[in-house]
Amino acid sequence: MTKSTRSRALKTAVGLLLAGTVTANAQDVVIWGGFPELTGYYERVAESLSGKYPDLNVIVEPIGLRDHEKRVALGLSSGLDDATILELIGSTANRYIVNDLIQPAPKGVSTFVNDDSNFEAFFQETAKVNGKVYGVPVFRGQGALFYNTDMLAAAGLEGPPTTMDEYDEYAAKLTQRDADGNPTVSGWSLRLSGGGGGIAEKFWINLHQYGGTLLEKDGDNYRAGYANEHGLAALKQYVDAVSGVKTVTVEMPADAAAFQREQTAMFIRESWVIGDTAKKAPDLNYKTAVLPRGSIALPVNLYVSGGSDEAQAAAWDFAIAANEPEHLIWMLDNVGWLPNRSGVDYSGVVAAKPQFGAFVDLPEDYVFFTLPSIEPINEILTRFAAHLVDAYADESLVGNDSAMLEVLKASAEETNKILNRAGILAN
Amino acid sequence: MLRRKQFWFAIMAILPTFAIFGWVRLFPIIETLRLSMHEWNLLSKNKPFVGFQNFIELFSDNQFMDALTNTAVIAFGAMAVTIPMSMVLAAIIYHRTRSRFSGFYETAVFIPHVVSLVPAAMAWKWIFDAKLGPLNAIIMGLGGDALPWLFDPVLSVICIIFLVSWQTLGYGVLIYLVGFRNLPKSVFEAAQLDGANGFQSFLYMSVPLLKPITLYVSVVTLISGFNVYAQAYVLASDTQGAPGRQVRVLVLDMLENSFQNFRVGYAAAEAVILLSIVLLLTMIQFGLLRGKGGR
Repeated sequence: MTKSTRSRALKTAVGLLLAGTVTANAQDVVIWGGFPELTGYYERVAESLSGKYPDLNVIVEPIGLRDHEKRVALGLSSGLDDATILELIGSTANRYIVNDLIQPAPKGVSTFVNDDSNFEAFFQETAKVNGKVYGVPVFRGQGALFYNTDMLAAAGLEGPPTTMDEYDEYAAKLTQRDADGNPTVSGWSLRLSGGGGGIAEKFWINLHQYGGTLLEKDGDNYRAGYANEHGLAALKQYVDAVSGVKTVTVEMPADAAAFQREQTAMFIRESWVIGDTAKKAPDLNYKTAVLPRGSIALPVNLYVSGGSDEAQAAAWDFAIAANEPEHLIWMLDNVGWLPNRSGVDYSGVVAAKPQFGAFVDLPEDYVFFTLPSIEPINEILTRFAAHLVDAYADESLVGNDSAMLEVLKASAEETNKILNRAGILAN
Repeated sequence: MLRRKQFWFAIMAILPTFAIFGWVRLFPIIETLRLSMHEWNLLSKNKPFVGFQNFIELFSDNQFMDALTNTAVIAFGAMAVTIPMSMVLAAIIYHRTRSRFSGFYETAVFIPHVVSLVPAAMAWKWIFDAKLGPLNAIIMGLGGDALPWLFDPVLSVICIIFLVSWQTLGYGVLIYLVGFRNLPKSVFEAAQLDGANGFQSFLYMSVPLLKPITLYVSVVTLISGFNVYAQAYVLASDTQGAPGRQVRVLVLDMLENSFQNFRVGYAAAEAVILLSIVLLLTMIQFGLLRGKGGR
């Protein structure tokens, strides 16, 4: 081997070694999400950062929301090796923050979130605890009515219902039945079964239209707020629909899938249904409408935990890049979740998909509510849901207001017991 | 000197296995017992001691009592279905071993046991679907009324019993087949000479002689029945279509209390109760089935 050959071989070896070092230094950032439909959005954001972080390796790991919540609980309590971006609703993140399992965001991120031109105060607050920023707002869940325009026209109905009484009237007129009178297409699909607290959350949306609330706030404390005339009105509506006039039944196909297959005429859901329907039922003729009084708003933020300082810095950069207008417009257009950032021109998407109108063009007196950031919120919703499932299917409750009120009182007692155990029961 | 060396060699050889066993088996059980007497939210550094408070609260908790009842019904229901069915199927397969399809029969019965639980439960969810499922289509084709399999409180439990039995049946058949193959032929020949027919031989000879196998299969089936979770979870899943009724079972309740309600001590108390029930029932089964013929 000549001297020059040896020198070339040495340089090649050193080059390979250096290349190996670079590979070993690649930044792994993991994204744990509870909304699998957002995978494409995160992949776009990761791609846009490839110039700034050529070695950034973003691993998107979305699973169903309930399992995601369990994974976050286990992951944070046992420690995360990689820098992990956690997609969490503000009320859920709160319990980890107060237990020091999620650290405050760095100064640059904090400045970005606190900038009023980026986010309205409502969204800023959901990303903060005791005035400190812990997360970056991204998108929110917000409800509106979806209705099949062909079915409404066939039933001789013009425009969507605007009061809860009209919802019942519309449901009755829109229900299609077989020769025996059994419903084959529900007039208004309601959440009547399933696991978790979703049943109670959906009930809360209807209760809100009657002016009620599931939990009344009194200072820093709470009490059950549904064992009253508002709760009765909401429960009565469900019981009548399921066990009385039977405009919907427990075993009927429900939710977005039923709406897309024209197995229901109306239902209340978040804006992701627009993106989902564009993919699954592009020819469906439907519109959306604002709810009579207001809607739930569940803001989802991105938090960072675990990993080295460098990887954490990259993860926070990712969270800010996720709020770039081009990505947010893409998300709204292709996935359908509502971005929280202000000052972005979404008009092109809204013009092309007018169904987004009911989510962004809101009446001035439209009232939002959100899940309170209290530790036992899931337990309260899950246990209330169990009472509701039994009540919906109980035909003996039809027309029996006092029995329905008793159901609500028994459940409210349980809710208050949970609040008391958590030390946050209002007098 | 050599004996001492042998003793230490034996200790050193056993130690790694014992350490692993202690770490993965004993430690979690002891830790669960300890946690059941504490209040812990999974995240806090504080775990105040609450004594038997968690246990007292559990027995006035309707959801826990529902879960306990459902789980017990499912476990005993699955056992009641699995034991006789697997014994009869194993007998049929054993007595048809000369058939060239015997291997196929054994595999066909055993396959559900090795199939991944979640996709299998998803498939059954479709079969049980009230509107789109083939089961109701068959019932209606025969002139009956469609049944809300996944929504009725009783029917949804029956669906889970069916699913658990479907999965454990193959294992039961396999174990019974081993039992049948080890039965002494001379006893059956003697019975035949005494005029016993096939059914009588099965009932009065095979069934008692298979007691140890029945004990084993019943213990395994009962324990897997009490640990039922995925079937209940999947049958109630699908938030965008037609979620079924949530049949509350103990493991599901424990998971919910631990990782959604953040009441780990409370969930640990549930686990202790589940452990006690399974231990007690196993001891009763051993007592009942370890009669004179038992080993």
